[in-house]
Amino acid sequence: MSVEARGLTKAFGPVSAVTDLTFQAIPGTVTGFLGPNGAGKTTTMRMMLGLVAPTSGTATIDGKRYADLARPSATVGAVLDGSGFHPAHTALRHLRIYSRMGGYGKARALRVAELTGVSAFADRATRTLSTGMRQRLNLATALLGDPHVLLLDEPGNGLDPEGISWMRTFLRDLAAEGRTILISSHVLGEIEQTADHVVVIRQGRLIATGPISELYGRTAVRVRSPQADRLRAHLTVPTEVLGPDTLRIHDMTTAQVATAAADRGIALHEITPERPTLERAFLDLTGGHR
Amino acid sequence: MIALIAAEWSRLTGTRLWLWGLLAALGSGAFTGLLALIGPENFTPPMPGLDTAEGVHVMLGLLGFTMFIPALLGTAAVTTEHRHRTITTTALFAPRRWTWLVAKLLTYTGSGLAYGLIACTVAAGALFSASALKGVALGLPTSTVLALLARIALAMAVYTLLGAAVGAILRNQAAALVTVGAYLYMIETVLMLIPGVKAVYPYLPGGATAALTGFTYLADAIAGQTGTSATTLLSAPLGAAVLLAYALIATAIAVAAPLRRDIT
Repeated sequence: MSVEARGLTKAFGPVSAVTDLTFQAIPGTVTGFLGPNGAGKTTTMRMMLGLVAPTSGTATIDGKRYADLARPSATVGAVLDGSGFHPAHTALRHLRIYSRMGGYGKARALRVAELTGVSAFADRATRTLSTGMRQRLNLATALLGDPHVLLLDEPGNGLDPEGISWMRTFLRDLAAEGRTILISSHVLGEIEQTADHVVVIRQGRLIATGPISELYGRTAVRVRSPQADRLRAHLTVPTEVLGPDTLRIHDMTTAQVATAAADRGIALHEITPERPTLERAFLDLTGGHR
Repeated sequence: MIALIAAEWSRLTGTRLWLWGLLAALGSGAFTGLLALIGPENFTPPMPGLDTAEGVHVMLGLLGFTMFIPALLGTAAVTTEHRHRTITTTALFAPRRWTWLVAKLLTYTGSGLAYGLIACTVAAGALFSASALKGVALGLPTSTVLALLARIALAMAVYTLLGAAVGAILRNQAAALVTVGAYLYMIETVLMLIPGVKAVYPYLPGGATAALTGFTYLADAIAGQTGTSATTLLSAPLGAAVLLAYALIATAIAVAAPLRRDIT
């Protein structure tokens, strides 16, 4: 079951939140949905779930609109930023209410509590839960219907490193079972090790999509030399001056740089291949930093 | 629909709200009993005693006066989903929004009826005990008293529905509670002071309720104070019909309004 946005557009009055967005998330993979805060990720996810009506375009799950699915909560599970719990309900009560709404019974509520580690605090009122516990409870709620598709909006928000690591493994396992997982984040590092594909948006528009490896872009070589200025003068490729004796040279391999330096009798004290971090590629794409 | 109502019931019983409702129902019934024991003739200003028809009407009218409590409980119960932002999850589990709204309104109308039955049973017990203790016969036949109490119980269910429906329309808990509370407590009474508007009072929820429960004291008192003639209320069945119409209109708006709203 794939998740698809086609020409998805949403305007809140004169403000366009999402503009002509088209992308797809396919089964068995984790698709990272990236963009800075306010890029339109939450609005897009809410349109996919029928909570927000698109101005134009369509968002479908397995070819259907969410509300038209025969068993919506058994098809799609969602963790949305800003969804809450009644503070007086216990964690288990919350799960039971929605288990009943979906028609899944008591046993299922206990089962998802076990799967997500909610069992450890099942009888505590939700007002006493930590952010990490709340995220687990949100995930448990999303899993009640054992859905094929998971839409997760910033599920890592407020998680401690241990929680993030747990979530990562948990989601990878779910994807390995053939589920379609779309997970949004404004922090790239959070999903760098989880996502196979990425969809990057900025100001509501698609700016990149594809396998995560393609996002890394060009490699570079970092060089330290007492004659850095001379070396730089001889090169025709783009270079950056990182320090008085340090350069970043783009579009050349380490071998090419070493040969170019040797040919001109320039001493190199250090030569390191640099794979640009995904964080940097992301920032370049989203215009957050140059 | 049964699953949705069961879920709603579970939502209600998972908080203390039902306990407050139960206490309020018992309390308002008992309060009526206490006042009956003191006797309307000992009120300041004195009112007709329990052995007169007016005296019994006053007692029942005072019980009817507590009808804003189940209305507010209904408002609180429905708006809690918006206040605690569980509305998103609810809309995901039942994307056809009218289904859970209808489930909510049915659940709370049922709870309102239970509230009314408890309050009126306690009040009936207290009223008859008070008359026995004081050795006076009630000014109305027992069957009439019971029939009036049953009408009050029904009206309480309708008020709960009205409160819940207003909550579903307004969504903001504080705003909805203030609106419902202010309307029932103040606005209707103030409207009666305006000579022209007074003519429509029989058709307002309060006027229709007064017709249904036979409590005209408030209308009469204001008429007396302002020196105008008292408003003629509708007949009891017409009052019931008007009240029901309000409930149905409010329900229709409550169910229809959120269908196209974005849940953000």
